[in-house]
Amino acid sequence: MFLRFVAAAAIAAFTMPALAADQVEKAPPTGSYKKVSELVKLPDFLPGLGQLYVDPKTLPAGPFLAYDRDGRLVSTVYMLPIEDLANKDKRFDNLAAPGGKVDHVDVYYNAGHPGVEKPHAHVVLWHVSKTDEARVAAK
Amino acid sequence: MMLSRRHILGIGGVLLASPLYGRAAAQGASPQIEIRMQGNADGSQVWFDPIGIRIRPGQTIRWINLDPGNAHTSTAYHPQNDAHSLRIPERAAPWNSDYLLPQESFSVTFTLEGIYDYFCLPHEHAGMVGRIVVGQPSGPPAKGVASPAQPGTEPIPEAAVRAFPSVDEIMQRGIVRRT
Ligand SMILES: [Cu+2]
Repeated sequence: MFLRFVAAAAIAAFTMPALAADQVEKAPPTGSYKKVSELVKLPDFLPGLGQLYVDPKTLPAGPFLAYDRDGRLVSTVYMLPIEDLANKDKRFDNLAAPGGKVDHVDVYYNAGHPGVEKPHAHVVLWHVSKTDEARVAAK
Repeated sequence: MMLSRRHILGIGGVLLASPLYGRAAAQGASPQIEIRMQGNADGSQVWFDPIGIRIRPGQTIRWINLDPGNAHTSTAYHPQNDAHSLRIPERAAPWNSDYLLPQESFSVTFTLEGIYDYFCLPHEHAGMVGRIVVGQPSGPPAKGVASPAQPGTEPIPEAAVRAFPSVDEIMQRGIVRRT
């Protein structure tokens, strides 16, 4: 019993750093996130989405963290290739969702862009209200 | 910011704009012909405008990215470009603009008569392709876009196959815009 407790505690201690949440509220997020416009040739600020960060290991699905011009997190975006969504053997499981409270969700088709060079669906978890989507609108 | 890159076609292809220009100003007043890379606000649609065009040998085409939210390329169908099938004249050199950010442009001067098909690297699967007819191409017509892939090359995605304007339409109308 005691041994089992020690083992559990050891595992907990060992996994702690990985579980420690990254700071994502403000750009740049901590952890393995990289600015998308530095990974691939894309405009730094995408009208309708904002400034994106992603952990390259999670491509293409993401999460992508999207920030407004003041560096405030506005949404978490997943990019899911249409051919994968139509493939019965393909799943997207346990996608990280570090952005906190979700106000509403948009899902729409995207023709592709550097980084995800095929038609895909954007699944956007907005952390701000519908009105505040304007924070990432085209100037 | 207005970056511009010019591409010189090698064998068969050729010349930087220069004197041929004046003589070859066929399409309206502008000696240089522009093809716009465009997309709608949410990125669900992307296209070349015009999608089909007829020019005279020696004319230059300049692609410019007018899509504020995306990068595009003008890339010839050629085995050297990502193992794509050969869809430009055999003696012409292939081109690839690489990714153009908003307002960036890229030019190619065409001297060899024939049919030139090209695509956008990240958007070929979304049907972002274009066709240029230079002069009066003679000989057998270009291989049908729907024909099986040439050995060792990628098949053309269905959306791209559907998007190409026909050579006949380009010959008749000179400029074909997306419908
Ligand atoms: Cu494109």
